[in-house]
Amino acid sequence: MKSLHKYGWIAWTSARSNMAYLGEVVARTLFLVLILYIFLQLWRVTYSETQAQQLGGFTLPQMLWYLCVTESLAISAPRIAQDVDQDVRTGALTVQLVRPISYPMYRLWSSMGERGVRFGFNFAVSAVLALFFVGTIPMSIGGCLLFLLVLPIAFILDFLVMFLIGLGAFWLEDTSGLVLIYSRLLWLLGGLMIPLELFPESWQGILHNLPFALVIYAPARLFVHPSISDTLALLMRQGVALLMLTLCVQWVYGLAIQRIHSNGG
Amino acid sequence: MVAIYIDHLYKSFTFSRGWGKHRKQTNVVAVDRISLNIPCGQAIAFIGPNGAGKSTTIKMLTGILHPTAGKAMVLGYVPWKDRQSLARRIGVVFGQRSQLWYHLPPRDTLELLARIYDLEPKVFRQRRDSLVERFGLNEFWSTPVRKLSLGQRMRAEVAASLLHEPQILFLDEPTIGLDVLAQQKLRNLICEWNQQEGTTVFLTSHDTGDIERVAQRVVVINHGQIMLDAPVSELRSRYLNEKILSVKFHTPIYEFPTLQGVRQLEVMDFGLKLEINTRLIPIEQVISQILQIGSVADVAIEDPPLDAVIAHIYNQPASEGLSL
Repeated sequence: MKSLHKYGWIAWTSARSNMAYLGEVVARTLFLVLILYIFLQLWRVTYSETQAQQLGGFTLPQMLWYLCVTESLAISAPRIAQDVDQDVRTGALTVQLVRPISYPMYRLWSSMGERGVRFGFNFAVSAVLALFFVGTIPMSIGGCLLFLLVLPIAFILDFLVMFLIGLGAFWLEDTSGLVLIYSRLLWLLGGLMIPLELFPESWQGILHNLPFALVIYAPARLFVHPSISDTLALLMRQGVALLMLTLCVQWVYGLAIQRIHSNGG
Repeated sequence: MVAIYIDHLYKSFTFSRGWGKHRKQTNVVAVDRISLNIPCGQAIAFIGPNGAGKSTTIKMLTGILHPTAGKAMVLGYVPWKDRQSLARRIGVVFGQRSQLWYHLPPRDTLELLARIYDLEPKVFRQRRDSLVERFGLNEFWSTPVRKLSLGQRMRAEVAASLLHEPQILFLDEPTIGLDVLAQQKLRNLICEWNQQEGTTVFLTSHDTGDIERVAQRVVVINHGQIMLDAPVSELRSRYLNEKILSVKFHTPIYEFPTLQGVRQLEVMDFGLKLEINTRLIPIEQVISQILQIGSVADVAIEDPPLDAVIAHIYNQPASEGLSL
């Protein structure tokens, strides 16, 4: 209980610290508004050209709301890998290691606080935009609660992959290439711009089971098409990914921590 | 009671280069079988040139690094085995790395640290108020860290590291980059804390002012080995056999005789500055020579600056240990 209180406070402090980056938050949000507006126009043309009421099971309003969630998720991603990379390279990691806390947990909760603020702000603005252009879609409190259940797990999965990449700094000269590859894979294969239903059928089986979909596509789809059975299936897949990635982080972190050299000072 | 016990502590790093058949391994010894005992309440300066093994030693003593061989106990804990338990009883300040949240006031970092160290709210409030008063944090208590001067930030850093009442305070170059006044203020605060609260202070610094003002004992490490372990008060007077003699005359002087063990540092019309090696020539003999060449208005005998003493020690080869 004390641990939860401790790490909860780290998330809270991180959230408040991120309020200070108001300029960056506003810039990201303006970018989000622009992106959403462009996608709205593209999908409008697509729907009108195909004369379809639904594409992949999404109506136009549902598609825009889906994009609101996916874009907010992608844009709210904290610079976890870069921060861990810097901690390793500059030796700032030592400041965290001389405290009675776990470094991975410190980074996790700190990123949760940061992402919570950013996602909340981004989603609020994109929701206003969606309401203005396409109105509401059928939603319920239960559906929102299901979404809120899977959302933090999506954040944690994303964190674990980014943290693993950051730990690469113990072995690699530069991890920015890996960050770039991961973020592009997440965007392309995670359903950022197009729901997975619109990919070729032969791809769908694979894409649904990749961790990228569990971070972006699945929570966004659940927001638009809430269902208890889908939520349970998603939680199951997220749980398996969470377990595997946690074990992987634990193993790599164990190896990495033995590689700490004396980086001066 | 012993705060820190080190027995033949040894750490080497192995670096690999190349691939396949061309792969080569290099072994670098960072700390070479050092032994040291630090009693509770003592303030010790642990100094050495860059790459001497200071950081590696501190990292082993705080549990961050595992030694290759040897033993160490800090407050009864084996640091690398009980890192988290030990962390509750030690405080660490890195002069070049901040533990304060950059966009938040120091107040918020202390609030967070209270949770990290599981302090009871009442205890936290008492300690916080005491630190705010003693470290003069009131003037910038609610100002974001990014807006603080370096001196203010370092005061807040040290105060933050003392919140959980650590028994040992590790200070790694705490005054680096500070102006003279800020340095003095911080040194006085650390010194007061050591003397009044009995906190053991383990200080590393390249600034001799820190060593003279804060530490009672100095340990010099170089090439991974302890070169010198001595009280700070005796370092200058006993280690170097050199004295600086400054003389002022009533009338101009024209020449000072060449003497073995005497080096003329400065010669002016009405003054003279000499470096005397007291092993080669007694200081009285030099003074009597001076009295013969002119009417003396003033004489001052000084020890050489601590910087010179330390530089001299750093220049010793690895095998030559020094003792007082």
